[in-house]
Amino acid sequence: MSDDRAETNNKKDDVTTSRRDFLKNIGIAGASTLMAGSASAGVPADSPDPDAESTAAEWLQGHFVLMSEEDKKEAINRLEKRYTAKYDKKTTVANTPPLEGVLFGYALNIGKCIGCRRCVHACVQENNQSRTNPVIHWIQVMKIPKGNFAFTADKLNDGYPKSSAFGDYGVQVGGNAYAPVGGLATEHAQSYYSADEMVPDKDYFYVPVQCQQCEKPPCVKACPVRATFRDPNGVVVIDYNWCIGCRMCQLACPYQARRFNWGEPNLPPEEMNPKTHYFGNRPRMRGVMEKCTFCVQRTREGRNPACLEACPVGARKFGNLLDPESDVRKILATKKVFRFKEEMSTYPKFFYYIG
Amino acid sequence: MKKILSFVADFGSYAINGGTKYKAWLIFLLFIIVTGFYTAYIQLSEGLIVVGASDQVPMELFFANFIFTAHVAAAAILVVAPGYFYHRKDMKELAVIGEIIAMVFVATGITFILFHMGRPDRLWHMVPFLGYLNFPNSMLVYDTIVLNVYLYLNLIGISYILYKKYVGEFDTKALARWFTPVIYLAIIWGPLIHICTAFVLSSNARMGAWSTAVMPFGFLAMAGASGPSLVILLFLLIRKYSKLHINDSVIDLMSTIIGWSLGIIMLVFAAEYFTALYSNTEHAAPLNYSMFGHNGLNMYVPWFWGTVVTIVVSFVAILNPKIRKSYDRWLPILCVVIFLAILMEKPMMLVFPAFSPSPLGEYTEYHPTFIELYNVVLTWAVGFLSLTLLVKGAVGILTGEVKYSKPVDAA
Amino acid sequence: MKPQIAPTTVIIVLALFAVVAGGLALVGGLDTQKAKSTAVEEQAKATDAQPVTDCFESRVAYTAVTRTENIVPQYGYPNIKCSPKTSGVLWYGDPFDGTIPMGEMPEVTDATRGDFVNAVVKPREPRLTYFNMGPDGCATCHNGTMVVFPKDKKPRLITMHQDIVANSLQLQHGRGAIWCLDCHSATNRNKLVDRQGREFSFNQPQRLCGSCHGEVYIDWREGIHGKRIGAWATGGKKRWWVCTECHNPHTVQTNRFNPINAELPPPPPKGMKNADHERVGQNEH
Repeated sequence: MSDDRAETNNKKDDVTTSRRDFLKNIGIAGASTLMAGSASAGVPADSPDPDAESTAAEWLQGHFVLMSEEDKKEAINRLEKRYTAKYDKKTTVANTPPLEGVLFGYALNIGKCIGCRRCVHACVQENNQSRTNPVIHWIQVMKIPKGNFAFTADKLNDGYPKSSAFGDYGVQVGGNAYAPVGGLATEHAQSYYSADEMVPDKDYFYVPVQCQQCEKPPCVKACPVRATFRDPNGVVVIDYNWCIGCRMCQLACPYQARRFNWGEPNLPPEEMNPKTHYFGNRPRMRGVMEKCTFCVQRTREGRNPACLEACPVGARKFGNLLDPESDVRKILATKKVFRFKEEMSTYPKFFYYIG
Repeated sequence: MKKILSFVADFGSYAINGGTKYKAWLIFLLFIIVTGFYTAYIQLSEGLIVVGASDQVPMELFFANFIFTAHVAAAAILVVAPGYFYHRKDMKELAVIGEIIAMVFVATGITFILFHMGRPDRLWHMVPFLGYLNFPNSMLVYDTIVLNVYLYLNLIGISYILYKKYVGEFDTKALARWFTPVIYLAIIWGPLIHICTAFVLSSNARMGAWSTAVMPFGFLAMAGASGPSLVILLFLLIRKYSKLHINDSVIDLMSTIIGWSLGIIMLVFAAEYFTALYSNTEHAAPLNYSMFGHNGLNMYVPWFWGTVVTIVVSFVAILNPKIRKSYDRWLPILCVVIFLAILMEKPMMLVFPAFSPSPLGEYTEYHPTFIELYNVVLTWAVGFLSLTLLVKGAVGILTGEVKYSKPVDAA
Repeated sequence: MKPQIAPTTVIIVLALFAVVAGGLALVGGLDTQKAKSTAVEEQAKATDAQPVTDCFESRVAYTAVTRTENIVPQYGYPNIKCSPKTSGVLWYGDPFDGTIPMGEMPEVTDATRGDFVNAVVKPREPRLTYFNMGPDGCATCHNGTMVVFPKDKKPRLITMHQDIVANSLQLQHGRGAIWCLDCHSATNRNKLVDRQGREFSFNQPQRLCGSCHGEVYIDWREGIHGKRIGAWATGGKKRWWVCTECHNPHTVQTNRFNPINAELPPPPPKGMKNADHERVGQNEH
């Protein structure tokens, strides 16, 4: 944190730069003492510990979108250096810009999904989630009963209120067909079915749920600092360095798609994926929110998301909603498509279909 | 300047001196605070992994207690308003104590929110102009703004009144021109912090149990029950242990407010439960869960019925003039019961069961950890310590025991 | 005039303790923590093991694939990462590892034309057991002399290859409407054959299957049916899964999809010992 760098920053007219400088003027030493746990002692201006210095600089970093190009480059270099040292492998943190003329959409065939949870673990492999304590999965697979109507005909008169304390009315108003019948009624869903189970179970069907990338995301509305926002490709992303961990977005999300780093994430270096994106799968820190980004580090470079590639039955389809030739658009045109919890008017770009 | 320094010194020395019981109380609180530093340190260094929250129930005891502190803080206007709106002579003197309660409880609530946050070190992101506020959209931003404004309004009010009284210049007929708007604004602001807090909850469409329009009304009614309970306890203590004269009429007004509020709480509950249970759709699922449990998960059931019964019994009890007038025994006991009932209602009825079923149909029981509980107790201890000291000092000034005496050499 | 309220102080102190004690009563926390940590350890153990090298993609045994390290040196990626629990392929370091161009596809000009510009497939031939038993593929034995060519397509009992079709008189596929030689060329056993006598490589089963299953074939060509990985953009390089990578053409009805093992579930939420409550009343199916 030398003075000359502060000078170069002063030349720029960017708003956030001046914010940063303001904070710098408060003094790095004072600022870093504020940091909980991460930098235990005050870091003097020319600290011998490079990690502490980069932590301090990261702490002072503004909202990434509002930073100047130069500051972004600096922030990314800082991260690459830190990750490379921490995980002992050459790590790249991309800042690939959003694509022109692309609106990402996802379609999932619940008629085909077998509930094998490979997508869940593919996502974990790709996106550097915490493996233990907390265990973080961005995808949750619901197992929903198809319904059981095995009651016999003599019970057809069962129901409520066949008769009451005030007498038998003789007019039937109830029935007994109370079996849950699939659909997306989540009240009978099982999310913790065992790994020893063979799937698919013929009496159930399976619905994987991940971030639905809503067009009108309640989480973005709820975030007090705009750390989460919708990018021009329609994907809701998070600036992990700007998130304050208040979990209002988690409270707002009707899909339970957001996951919180309750503790310091545990990511074994040998399993770490070194190809990362600033808004995507770069290793997170304690106390910030994370969620599916449609593998922003892959999709902005043209490749399919990891969950799609793992699906052994081809139930997952991804593409550009603005391209009529894309898989997703063709599915929207020819199949029976619906959105999950449509009544929430979130307008997801994640579609479920049958057929 | 000298006056201000001597004000602080006199106020402080009066506040920390008292009888044996008073000192024991302070030491008890200090003991909790000092030991609590350790649990607070664990949470700050390990993260929220040490509390009981999970992605299924992301709001912990801190959040629930924060809502409760907002109740009490908002209710403090019930002490201020009669004096300034209705010009009740017996209440005007005591307004400053109401403001102290408001300020202390807002500050306690903010402390709870600091414990609730995953990255308290990044709080500067929420400082206007320095950070980046999601202003017109996020309800939490509104809540932060109103809470902070309320804190400072009350801070200004308290300092002004106490200081002016201390130097002997306080005259209700000739208040500073800027002061009247401040105190009136503070009175209006009280319900505002409450309505905003209710909206932080009810704005989440996914939370079936919370997206109800009666939530702000229910909150205000609970404020009207829990706040005055604390006020009565405080006033009874002040009356017993100090020379400050508090009329019975003040206590009676407070217990009347409690009675009305309990009635409104019952009405709000009834309206909510009827609406949910008659059609018994998925929106009633959290309510069914707290009333009857779900597939063997029935941790919240005793809390639910316990709270409902307590509220009904308290309502019936406070209607009884014999209990209402029993200043030395039944009224304080009833106040403690009401205060605790509404305190426990927050996590065990309002917050935790509302997360089951989750959007994906999960039912979860919330088990707070010891560290979490101790941090809650720590925050309460800090709150009660500040409350005790501030009220003690204020009483000293109101009774005239603490006042500015010109130094000899200055004359 | 001031009444005695000595117990009040005591009551407040007791109240604070009541909050603590009441909370402690509902903690029951310590053993829940323990239960959680064992679940965590289990997951940790699963991930700590040596990487699985013998994996499968869609069908067990028929889509075997081996993990090779450092296929993408820039990131040190292996070609695939597999599940230690089920050996299913979870993640592709290089989605095009071991693929060949899809080969010639018939030209369709209407809206159902496919996007075959950069289509690649994993060849089926190297994965067929009998095909790889001799230097000339199936023709090593089925060369007209060692095994004589059949005279007609009439179903008869075959005493060979019973691991593929147990009873050749009860071939499931087509429910008796077709028989082995409707798809396998009688004279050129290294090829598949359709009803017009056109021969296709085993790497292009879709052209044969599509001659009967037209609707599915259209969906597949359009990218709706079946699996494709690689680029998402229209015209981008994609690896296509062909019919027989997911479907067993011989036992189509009974083994529509062979059940496989699921991967690990998430641990129960903090504070929960298990998730048994979600299964209550659902076991009678």
